[in-house]
Amino acid sequence: MKDGPILRVENLKAHFKTNYFGVHREVPAVDDISFDIGRNEIFGLAGESSSGKTTLMKTIAGLIAPPLELIGGHAQFSFMPVQTNLYKADPALLAKIRWRKLSYIMQGSMNVLNPLRKIRAIFSDFAAIHMPGPKDEFEEKVTSHLARLRLEPTVLDAYPHELSGGMRQRVTIALATICKPDFIIADEPTTALDVIVQKEVLGMIRSVQREMGSSVLFVTHDMGVHASLTDRLGILYAGCLVETGRTKDVFDKPMHPYTRHLIHSLPRIGDTIQRTSLTGTPPNLANPPSGCRFHPRCPIATSICSVEKPILRQFSDGRRVACHAVTGDPA
Amino acid sequence: MKRIVLDLLKYNSEFRLGVFLISIVVVMAGLSFFSPYPPNDVYVVAPDVPPSFANWLGTTSRGQDVFWQLTIAIRNTLGFGLLVALLSRVISITIGLLSGYLGGWVDRLLMAVNDTFIVIPLFPILILFYFVLRDSMSTVLLAVIMSSLGWAYDSRLIRSVAMSLKTREFTGTSVFSGMTTFEIISREHLPYVLPIIFSTTLNNMNWSIGLEVTLAVLGFMDINTPTIGGMIYWANQHTAIVAGVWWWIIFPVLLVVATFVGLYLIAVSINEYIDPRSRLARMGGGHS
Repeated sequence: MKDGPILRVENLKAHFKTNYFGVHREVPAVDDISFDIGRNEIFGLAGESSSGKTTLMKTIAGLIAPPLELIGGHAQFSFMPVQTNLYKADPALLAKIRWRKLSYIMQGSMNVLNPLRKIRAIFSDFAAIHMPGPKDEFEEKVTSHLARLRLEPTVLDAYPHELSGGMRQRVTIALATICKPDFIIADEPTTALDVIVQKEVLGMIRSVQREMGSSVLFVTHDMGVHASLTDRLGILYAGCLVETGRTKDVFDKPMHPYTRHLIHSLPRIGDTIQRTSLTGTPPNLANPPSGCRFHPRCPIATSICSVEKPILRQFSDGRRVACHAVTGDPA
Repeated sequence: MKRIVLDLLKYNSEFRLGVFLISIVVVMAGLSFFSPYPPNDVYVVAPDVPPSFANWLGTTSRGQDVFWQLTIAIRNTLGFGLLVALLSRVISITIGLLSGYLGGWVDRLLMAVNDTFIVIPLFPILILFYFVLRDSMSTVLLAVIMSSLGWAYDSRLIRSVAMSLKTREFTGTSVFSGMTTFEIISREHLPYVLPIIFSTTLNNMNWSIGLEVTLAVLGFMDINTPTIGGMIYWANQHTAIVAGVWWWIIFPVLLVVATFVGLYLIAVSINEYIDPRSRLARMGGGHS
């Protein structure tokens, strides 16, 4: 068990379902997604807006509330008892696991801090129940953990609005990592920051992760962040995983046409070529295209693409791609 | 808190006036403890004496000193208003926060009850209560009845705030970090609604005092407990205005008006503290 993946997601399906006034809508926002995340690994998940990134995170974390509904598949964490599904676990077990083993930096994490509570109170709200022991000891742990993120102990007596954006971000990361969780889900934690603060915060996430040996599932649409931070990368398109592999490989030799486009759209220094954008827009998930969901925008689409949905096929080096046109390893 | 009050006193003339009026009312109520006459005794002074140095606000046709009678009356009336406000706050905060946070069938059920209380015609119900209870009707009992009728508007207001708080990230994180529903509501959400609660408390006091005075003036109340409404009731019984004993009716009316205006002004100026945009509007700023 020690060497197996810390998270195994298998055929995960979650749909938004509404049924009002005779109109039935079903949006397959997470559609048959499978991937593994190993120990001590930062797994990046990339995709444009509305590709279902946040929904996938919520499903993995077990935060499923109507209209989102789990259709099938499961996400198995290695720290959960075997055969205990996260979705069927009783609340007592969930309460034991969450935050201590599995923590979640929510999207828009600037707003994770209740503006009416001081940072000290927020720490005791979120983390104190997971860290039994005397109060001074907890206080000491918080202070030393804040120091790790280069925050003064004085921030504990501040209200969130008295801190700068970068400080708030670091407090949020400190909150999510204080219990030394085995697994951290980070949903666009740096999107609201400017690049300089972002770089600093990313470096801190990296060093905290290395120090604690946690695994991180890192979600952002920013390919630059993925390139600098993640070990492995998954590309999400319209609720489906289209390619996964080591970040370096994916950037060097993207195999799926969508990935290729995504990476070629990144500007390089000294480059004077006009960047072309992909024609069309991401599909409306309430009415997704038949077959491969990417085929209406794909430059190399063939007749089979609109009929049959490609499966995620394994290539060498743990590379997996879902495309009919990709037949062999990249040259 | 102290700084907020001092700032409001310094910069807000409405708040200043409100505090001034309420101070008068509260001092009057406090003086009742030093009253030389037992509040329910009659013919303790010469009846129908106009205001003079011996009897500052004159005496009633029942031989009571208007000033001292007024002190105990405003004390009972204020106490009544506070009790109604307090009890109804407990109901409206609980229902508003729970309903907004939990949503789903709990929300639908609680709001069905809530809306029923909103549409119930209050006044006939209160009169009905009086006719059923008659002699066992007391100020405290009326306060309990009115607080169980007067919470509905405010709980809807609190619910609306709780609903928006529910979708904030910090609530999601609180749930994820394993806080219980009670902890989330009391520690994360309650501080948000406190300013609203404070402002609605004052309005609720105004509402309950107004209804109590109305009921008492019409005699649908325990008339032996001296209240402002009770005083006016007795003055009417003795046709005070016709008999020329105007001081019997004018002073209670003035005092209760001072209470209303004072509470209203404080509620309004506190609103300005709650909603910083209204400060901009007063300065002529914001979007025009």
